[in-house]
Amino acid sequence: MAERWNRARVLSLAPDTSSRQAAQSLAAVRSWPLTGAAEGGALWGECLGRASTPYRTAVDLSGPAYQCSCPSRKLPCKHALALLLLWSDGSITTDGDPPEWAEEWFASRPARAGDDGDQKAPADPAAALRRAEQREARVAAGLAELDRWLCDQVRQGLAASQRSGYRLWDDIASRMVDAQAPGLAERLRALAAVPHSGPGWEGRLLEEYALLRLLVTAYGDRVKLPPELRDTVRSRIGFTVRQAEVLASAAPVRDHWHVLARRDLDQERIRTRRTWLRGRRTGRFALVLSFAAIGQSLDDSLTVGTVVDANLAFYPVAVPLRAVVAARHDTLPAGAPPGISTAALLAGYAAALGQDPWLDNWPAVLEATPARAPLPCLFDTVGAAVPLHPGAGECWPLFAMSGGRPLTVAGEWTPRGLWPLTAWDHDGMAVGPVPL
Amino acid sequence: MSTWRDLVTASLIGTERAEVPPAPVPGVLTSDPARATQDPAAVLLDRAALLTAARRAGRRHGQADPPPVAEPDSRPVVSQAAGRRLARMLGGEYPELLAEWLAAAAARGLRPPPELLPALLDRIRRAGPADSSLSRLAAEAGGPRARWLAGLNPDWELITAQHLPADDAWRLGRTAQRRGYLASLRARDPGAARELIAGSWESAGPDERVMFVRVMADGPSLADEPLLEAALDDETAWVRKMAADVLAVLPGSALARRMTERAVRCLRIERGPRGTRLVVTPPAESDALMRRDGIAPGAAGASSPADRARLMLEVVARTPLRTWTDEFGLGAAQIVTLSSGDWAPVLFTAWSRAAIAQRDKDWMAVLLHQALTGWTWRPPGLAAEFEALRQLARRADPAVLSDPGPDAPQVIREATRLLRFRYDILRELDDHDGGD
Repeated sequence: MAERWNRARVLSLAPDTSSRQAAQSLAAVRSWPLTGAAEGGALWGECLGRASTPYRTAVDLSGPAYQCSCPSRKLPCKHALALLLLWSDGSITTDGDPPEWAEEWFASRPARAGDDGDQKAPADPAAALRRAEQREARVAAGLAELDRWLCDQVRQGLAASQRSGYRLWDDIASRMVDAQAPGLAERLRALAAVPHSGPGWEGRLLEEYALLRLLVTAYGDRVKLPPELRDTVRSRIGFTVRQAEVLASAAPVRDHWHVLARRDLDQERIRTRRTWLRGRRTGRFALVLSFAAIGQSLDDSLTVGTVVDANLAFYPVAVPLRAVVAARHDTLPAGAPPGISTAALLAGYAAALGQDPWLDNWPAVLEATPARAPLPCLFDTVGAAVPLHPGAGECWPLFAMSGGRPLTVAGEWTPRGLWPLTAWDHDGMAVGPVPL
Repeated sequence: MSTWRDLVTASLIGTERAEVPPAPVPGVLTSDPARATQDPAAVLLDRAALLTAARRAGRRHGQADPPPVAEPDSRPVVSQAAGRRLARMLGGEYPELLAEWLAAAAARGLRPPPELLPALLDRIRRAGPADSSLSRLAAEAGGPRARWLAGLNPDWELITAQHLPADDAWRLGRTAQRRGYLASLRARDPGAARELIAGSWESAGPDERVMFVRVMADGPSLADEPLLEAALDDETAWVRKMAADVLAVLPGSALARRMTERAVRCLRIERGPRGTRLVVTPPAESDALMRRDGIAPGAAGASSPADRARLMLEVVARTPLRTWTDEFGLGAAQIVTLSSGDWAPVLFTAWSRAAIAQRDKDWMAVLLHQALTGWTWRPPGLAAEFEALRQLARRADPAVLSDPGPDAPQVIREATRLLRFRYDILRELDDHDGGD
């Protein structure tokens, strides 16, 4: 258990005076029928309030990060503060396993992945190996279940899925969480939106099911796969590689990295920021991920439109995009990055798919003009067009910046089209990530 | 293509009832004898996976209908700070100051960042035709790029298309269009507009007559007086009130003279041994002539002290401010600091309303300065005074900005915040070369 914090340290976390006062009056054992704490700095508890069900509160001391089912938008809320106060004065015992709701949140805490750099190698190699074997066995069992489920869907016909609620995917996703395959769980949860994504949904659903089964098959055959492809499969399933390992395994690439674009995604409890970079010298694309709990702010150190002189260490997969910043030397101002043609974009994506058929987000920097007909699209200097992603909306700001003339656009190329994220105006000034 | 459709159709129906169609991919060997006995659902998914990868990698570009090219706009874009402020205003912060921003940008020969034009046009569209001046300002500030953009989206067409075919707009248009026509005619040829109003007055309904008076409210002249004076006897109360408001701010009008006569009977200056002070004798009661001039009678029991104070306020609010500088031989800045005892809030409110209605910059500035610096010895008290203060902060020259200190009443702090916002608007627009 982490070293106990004193009362003053806890109270200093309060966002304002009123939460400080409210927390102090809530920090009474009788208001908390359930509390607990775990090794490694996790607290949880259920607090009786005016609502019919108790509020469920969890704190990860390593952030610290907070999670509470109450409607307050303050962070930490009074319940999280009260829980910390109880722990601070020794009213919470360190034993027992967290209840499922807390466990799930702790498991999903990406900050732990972010803390990897500081973590030391496992103390007991034999125990670590045993845990790793257990996990492989669980994943294998989970994938077998997923395979049966996928085949069931296709056997019964996808027509039924438009009528079934999100539970259909949520249930199988939760089972993948249990099977320690969070990457699959995330892919499955995202599928609930597909039947309502407009014409062609059935084709898109089939694509996703087919690619999921391809992952199952590939994992089954993993001993026969080349190491990079095996790592790709494992990472898509949800095996994480610790940052320390990434930093240790590969020589970092130093370059002047143009910060092209970024996209923030809010999932259930996690905000993910994807930042796309491209090296000026190497021409390599890189993707830096950062995570935060809902309500907390994301890492803002890579500013779109600048150039960062840095060493990046790439995760060892078949198409190495994801990277961590190993060392940073300087940040420089920059104009627009060089854009490419539509044909070059499609060719680059095709080549990458040859290495990783699950790749559905590919960085794009185009020199192109937006047009509205026959569909919202971007066309390059020879008139070759790619559609804009329907989910990106009308993209009016992009049109307004263009005025019918070509500009440099960076974004994510996906099977449904290009999701624009940054545009450079005719003076080379980057605009983004406003919705384009 | 049809191969993929066949697979999708089979998956929709389900392999329980549908045959799995073959799905050859040129150059790829798909028949795997070992799998011949496999679950048809699995076979379908495997074929779909292969085709998905092939289709994604083999995607061809499309064609676009290039949009027209916008006319160039030689005006520079505002500074980044000014652009960020405009974005905040379009996002809902101080939306009432948008017109001021647009007018100030246009006056400095600057244009808004193009990526904000869609939000600006949306905002104007939501404000509706009632706010035609905002729409005119947006069209002017937005320039050719805004016109180009509006050409791409029918929702925005009306905003920039100010010029309706003249006669049609007058004969067939709705009130808003008729008003637009009349206002533009008045700008070109005030005499013709006046004749048109005079000729249409008899047959016009109440809404239409209100509209006529509104049009005349924009820069009234003594030539409009006969029409407006006649409107004081209109059968509709709203028309009478509007006409009285316009005449009160028309320099040299008979109504303004009548109001002046009343006002000087109510307020005089007394220079005594203990200093100079203002002595107030409020009107005893409202008479028919006062009512005709737009001062409504109070509730029953009309000569109560509260009612007399209200009459006093109404009379002074409609009196030309020059009356006081002429009558007392003092400047506005001196007059507002004269002691008037309990009448101070009434006089402050009345003069503020007069300054706003008469668009008198000097009076607005001295009144606001007085309120922001003098709250320690006379904090604002009346609700009407609060409102007057807010209106002054919205219109007075923001150069009177001063720091009222953290202990100031909320209404003073809010007014200061508003004033600071306006001050920053102008500062950022003046700073367009410096960027940031």
